[in-house]
This record gives sequence, C-alpha cells and structure tokens, in this order.
Amino acid sequence: MNKPTNWLGSAALAAVLALSAGGAGAQEKTFIFGAVGTPAGFDTDAWLTGTLETTVNVYEGLTKHAIVTDGSGREVIDASKVEPHMAESWTVSDGGKVVTYKIRPGVKSPFGNELSAHDVAHSWAMAKDRKRVGNFMVKVGRVESVEAISDSEVKFTLGTANNIFPRILSTVFPALVDSKVMKEHATADDQWATKWMAKNTAGFGPYHVESVKPGEGAVLVYNKNYFEEKPYFTRVIYREIPSAASRAALVKSGQIHWADQMPIQQLVDLIKDPKVKVDSVPGTGAATLRMNPNFKPFDDIRVRKAINYAFDYNAVHEAVFRGLGELSDSILAPAFGAYYTPAQTYQTDLGKAKALLSEAGHANGLDIQLEYSDNWWWEESLAIQTKDALAKAGINVALKRIPKTEMNSRRRIGKRDIPFFPHLANAFVLDPGYAFYLSAHSEGSSDVNDYNNPKFDALVDALIGETDTTKAIALAKEAQMMHADDATFVISDFPKTYAVTAPCIKGWLWYQHDRVVWKHLRCEG
Amino acid sequence: MVVPILLGITFLTFMLVRIGDQNPVAMLGGPMADEVTFAVIEKELGLDKPFFVQFGIYLGNLVQGDLGESWQSSERVADEIRNRLPASLELLVFSVLLGALVGVPVGLRSAQRPNGLFDQVSRFVSLFGFSVPTYWIALMSIFVFFFLLRWAPPPMGRLDIASFPPPDLTGSYFIDSVLTGNWTTAWSALGQLTLPVILFSIIVAAPIIKHTRAISLEVLASDYVRYARAQGLRPRTVRRVALRNAITPILTFIGTELTGLLAAVSLLELIFAWGGLGQWGLNAILLGDFAAVQGYVLVLAVFSVAIFIVLDLLVLLLEPRATLRP
Repeated sequence: MNKPTNWLGSAALAAVLALSAGGAGAQEKTFIFGAVGTPAGFDTDAWLTGTLETTVNVYEGLTKHAIVTDGSGREVIDASKVEPHMAESWTVSDGGKVVTYKIRPGVKSPFGNELSAHDVAHSWAMAKDRKRVGNFMVKVGRVESVEAISDSEVKFTLGTANNIFPRILSTVFPALVDSKVMKEHATADDQWATKWMAKNTAGFGPYHVESVKPGEGAVLVYNKNYFEEKPYFTRVIYREIPSAASRAALVKSGQIHWADQMPIQQLVDLIKDPKVKVDSVPGTGAATLRMNPNFKPFDDIRVRKAINYAFDYNAVHEAVFRGLGELSDSILAPAFGAYYTPAQTYQTDLGKAKALLSEAGHANGLDIQLEYSDNWWWEESLAIQTKDALAKAGINVALKRIPKTEMNSRRRIGKRDIPFFPHLANAFVLDPGYAFYLSAHSEGSSDVNDYNNPKFDALVDALIGETDTTKAIALAKEAQMMHADDATFVISDFPKTYAVTAPCIKGWLWYQHDRVVWKHLRCEG
Repeated sequence: MVVPILLGITFLTFMLVRIGDQNPVAMLGGPMADEVTFAVIEKELGLDKPFFVQFGIYLGNLVQGDLGESWQSSERVADEIRNRLPASLELLVFSVLLGALVGVPVGLRSAQRPNGLFDQVSRFVSLFGFSVPTYWIALMSIFVFFFLLRWAPPPMGRLDIASFPPPDLTGSYFIDSVLTGNWTTAWSALGQLTLPVILFSIIVAAPIIKHTRAISLEVLASDYVRYARAQGLRPRTVRRVALRNAITPILTFIGTELTGLLAAVSLLELIFAWGGLGQWGLNAILLGDFAAVQGYVLVLAVFSVAIFIVLDLLVLLLEPRATLRP
C-alpha cells in the first residue's frame, strides 16, 4: 500500500472531491493551480519560474493597501491608502525621516516563531547585502538603516521622507522571513541560507511550501499559525502544465481551478466559453518599443519621433491585443488616477513621419533592426505589426528573434546594448514616483533603453520626496510630458490582467504584483 | 571510439551554449541587481574565467560524475537526469514497442503485395505519420479524446491527481505499480500513458513501415528467395526465410531511430505535462541553463552510444557471420 507521502499527499483526493462537489462539503479545500512551470525557487530576490506566483502567498508585509469597493461593486485595492498589517501601528518623527513600526503580536510562522523586530531587521539586512530586488527597494525607498529597538519595535531611518517607503512595506520585497529558521539553515558559504530558500519557505503569510517535485509541481499548505482569517483553500496544488492549450482544456473541463498565464489567442476563445470564467482588470504596465538613444539612428530625436508617428496604434490595438488591451497615451497607467496625464500625444501620421525622417537626412528611407524575444506573449506579433506599419513611412525594419536569456542579459544594468526592442515594466509599488523611477530614471532597473535625462531624473527625485499631493500631481504631469517629448518609447497598449478560472471561483482581488493571492479565493456554487 | 565521440560532443555542446549573448547572470540576478551583483554571480558560476579554463573545470568535474548544477532549479544536473529519465523512457519504450509491433508486420505484409489495397493504405498511414506535426496531433487528440469524448484522462502528467507514485523499482509507474500489486495506480498510469503512447507510436511506426517494406521488397526479390520459391517451398516458409534475412536491417533501423526519439519525445512531454527528460531539456535550452543543456545533450549522446553497442551485440547474435567480418 502506498503512503500519501512526498508529493500530492492527501490533498489529491480532497482536490478531486472539491472539484467534483464544487468545493462544498469537503473537509479540506484544495485549490488546483495550472501553472507554466514548477516553482524553481522561493527566494524573492531571484525571480525564477514560479517564484513570484508562490511567494506572494507565503510572505506578507508590515503594511497593506486598503481594500475598497469600486463603483461596479468590485473589491479593489486603494493605491492611495496604506494600512497596518503585520505591524499594528507606526510613528513618524524627524520630518518623516524616522518611522518606527510596532509589530503586531501573534503573527507566527508555520514553525511557531513569532514575528519580531529582529526578523524585520534580518530581512532588510539580507536584501541590502545581496544587492538584488530587495536592495532596489532599499534604494528607491531611501532607506538608510533598519534597527530593531526592541523585540516588537523596528526603526527605519530614511535619507528623505517619501511616499514610496510605506508602500514598499506592503510588498514582498524584501520578504519578511523567520530569521530563527533561516539562521538554522545558514552555512559558512551561505550566510543568508539562500540555498535552503530555493526549496523551502519561512514566511509569516497564509501559506507555506510542503513539497516540490521538479517537472510535476509543488504543494503549498495553509499556515496554521496565520494571524488572519483561515483561507477557504487550505491546500494548493501548484501543477506544472507547460502547454497553454492543455491548461485551457483542463480549466474548461473542470480539472483545474485556475489556468495561469494564458496567451491572448486562447483568451479570445475562453472569454466566449460558458464553462470558464474569465475576469479582467486594467493593466498598469505598458507594452512599449524602446529606443536606445546611445545608438544610431536613435540618437536623433527626429528619428524617434518619426517612428512614433509612423506606428499604427489602432492596428496594433486590434491585431496584436485583439481589442483586449487599453490604448495608452502615457508612460503612467490610468490606474494611477490623478497622477496620470495623457501626455504621449503621437497619433499615426505618415506625413509627419516622412517629413521628420527627411529633416533627419533619411529622405530615401532608413534601415533599422528590431530585436525581440518571448518574455511576453505579444512581442512577436507586435514586432511583425511594427515592421508593416513603419514600412509605410519608408523605414525598413529587420526583425531578429533572440533567446529570452540573451534579451535579459543584454538589457541588464551595465550592458544595455540593444538599440530597438519591446519591453513592459510593471510597477510593483503603486506610486507614480516609483513607476517613473523604475522605467525611465537613469538608475531605474527597467530603464532598459538607457534613457538618461538629468532634468527628468531631478523631476522624479523631487516627486519621490514630495509629500504634498497637489505638488506631486504637478510634478508627475511635468515628468510625463517631458518623457513623451523625448520620444524614447513607442507606447502601445496596456495589456489587461486576466484571471481564467473555473466558474465557481470567486474573490479574485488584483494586486500590483499581478499575481493571484489565493487567500481571497473561494469556490461557490 | 566511444570516449573521443563523447568528448567531442561535450566540447561542442559546451561551446555552442556559450555562443552569443546568452548569460544566466541576468536571470539569476533578477531585474533589479546592479553591476557589482552581476559580477559576483558571474564569479560564483565561474563564468568570469577563460573559456578553456571553464571547459577544463567542467571536464574535471565530469569525470567525477559531477555534471554541475542547474541555475534554474538549483538542483544537481545528475539528480535531475536521474529523476526525469525514467519518465521519458517509460513513454519511449512503450511507444517504440507498440510502433514496432504494428510497423514491422504491416511493412512485411505491404511488401508481399506491392501496390495492393493493404499496401496503399499502409503507405498512406506511414506518410501521415511522417508528415503530421507532433504538437498538432497531440493537441488535436487532447481536444477530441479528452475534451469532447472524455475517453482519455486529463493531460496532467504520469498519474491522475488522486493517485500516488508507486515505490521506485524500474522507474516506470505502470510496471512498478503492477509489480507491487497496486492496481489502482497501475490503472491510472496506464490511462495516462495510453494517449501519448498511441500518438508517439504512430510517429514511430511510420518510418518502420516504410523501411520494413523497402527491406522486405529487396529481400523478396533476392536470388535466395527466388530459389526458395523455385524449389516449391510453401509461401509461409518463404516468408520465414525472407523475415530471417530482413530482421537484421529492420532491427538496426529501429535502433538507429530510437537514438533520435529520446529528443523527439520532448514536445509530446511538454503538451502532456509529462515531466520527463525531454521537457526538462527543452526548457533548459530555452532558458540558457548551461549545465542542464550540457547534461541533457550528454545523456542523449550516451543513450545513442549505448543503443549502438546493444545493436551491435544483437546483430552478432542474429547474424553469426558478422563475427567473421574484419
């Protein structure tokens, strides 16, 4: 007789029961998540396959965004309001440069350890030392030091007071880890126990990893010590189903609850299918074509503007995004509310494009190369559509597909040698200053086309430090206009975020990290 | 011969994965790392060293059985291969067996009456197997047999979601379940195997039918078969003589085909979420996971060499005259 051991465990049978019975009546509610790949690691500082999809359910922050109901009756997160979460309160002093958080009592990891200020200090020290995603948050949040002043109080000292910092604390960057457990697994060669983190988790959030089987998937279970309400689904089977068509077939047939990362071609069909529920929210990241001004002919602003005028926005919206995205006209998404300004005023105008090209000395046409990969499903279609549109203005675009690893390697900080390519940056912190800093500030990690305008940088720096909302809105508007005028982006659509689920699934709440948070989900009906 | 071949393949793979700007450093560092961090990671991976030094270190580790570590999964490549190879072999062996069991008799029968109805139909089936893209037929079959007809189980790997892997004896979930008397798991494993095995066996059988037919036609037209017929031997005896002479080249062909199938099965593994070596290798290639790609190609090479050695031994067994050849 086989024991339900390492992998699916007793969850499997419960999963089948839950699905067949619509979830009602089963003792243990299991959620089956159809994913592209098995999680390759759970270290939020190293984004591998499945890392973010799982860790946003394992780690939580000292703060959180308020959840409000919008005009349509749907629950949404309120970007403007930050509330206590794992911290129960905080005090601000020294003009906003010192913030002291009081840790909520009773927040425990699955190992039974209570969250303390030392865990917070350990997590930030780890981020700072490893100089990856967490350290980017240290930089952008202007965090100078993190100090545990008692077991339950942690003091953050900032270089300048800013709006981004409290929002960063609502993310999983850096992840708040159970430092007692981490220290147990640290070695002389690996002081932060990152190797252990590749297969394990030590968070204070609602779920933790029970098992991982490469090639098959992972099982995550409910943290019995979780300080908030017990989630409906107490066990999650994170199943690797690499083929999008197979994920579509499985969600249609009720074999899985959630089909993750469905490409638009599948979505178009799934939306019409009554056996599947497809929900969507506006995206916050724009699909863009980036022009690197360090390379010819993109060093000439007239060429960059000509490309912006030659681009066929409507054709891309219809043919590439099938009308399911939102046409965008700013580096900032409309989701940023009052901060958003329709600044990118380029409309398709072949006459203007040709005139600008002629003025730039390219009256007889121009040859450029567009390199693309498959980081996003829309890249190849966008590239083809761009070639077609730009040809009408006399711009001959040679398309070159390169491996994802090469794309990521060449656009990294210190290299950035791709002249013309697609990109999408999603702001994980819902703050306009953060979004600008991320995508277009010369120190931004997603400034992948090496846009470097000191005036723009100064504007963004001022915006990050501006606590007066009216002044911040004015600065955000100026930044959008300046960036649009420099024309280093061709901004196409904001692809929406889609949730493809079994019809019974309710409670999907969109978060800025664009990954589903399982604790809100339930199966009804 | 085996060592120089494997050494050459190892060197070529090591070089090819490093051509171009594929570099795992950016993936490992994440999108927000700085230059210092990238340099540290590069050093940790040994990618800062000259190419031949890197290759020397790799070879040194290889002879000790260390294939390196996958940067994507942080698993030792040797462990990944050990864990995933049985899944691929299970699919491959059942498919090749079925493909050969169908392909060889069909090829033989076709050769007996060239251009007859049976021959025409078998040639059409063979052509279909040759021409149809693996991924297309797999997706269509899932749509028809799983989604529409509900005859096949969901394409979610080697066992249904309510079954547990049997104790590891041979690596085949089906065989291990049977051996341990776990009939529920055996039934589940068989159900999961059925559709991919049938599909892959169509692809395997197509060239077998074609080559068996061609070899049989050649044998049937040979002097010794004509002599046997002239002697008035019964058709069954003549067929046995023909088969006896055709079996060696047919087996050789099946063997050589097998060497390519371990790689060819990867698309099918991907679609059926099989979790085998092919799926892993394909993913490693797409992600530029150097150590994993090197390990994957090396396994394919060793597999091919092993098949050729087994084939040589089989030929010796079936064709004793082969020993007399220089």
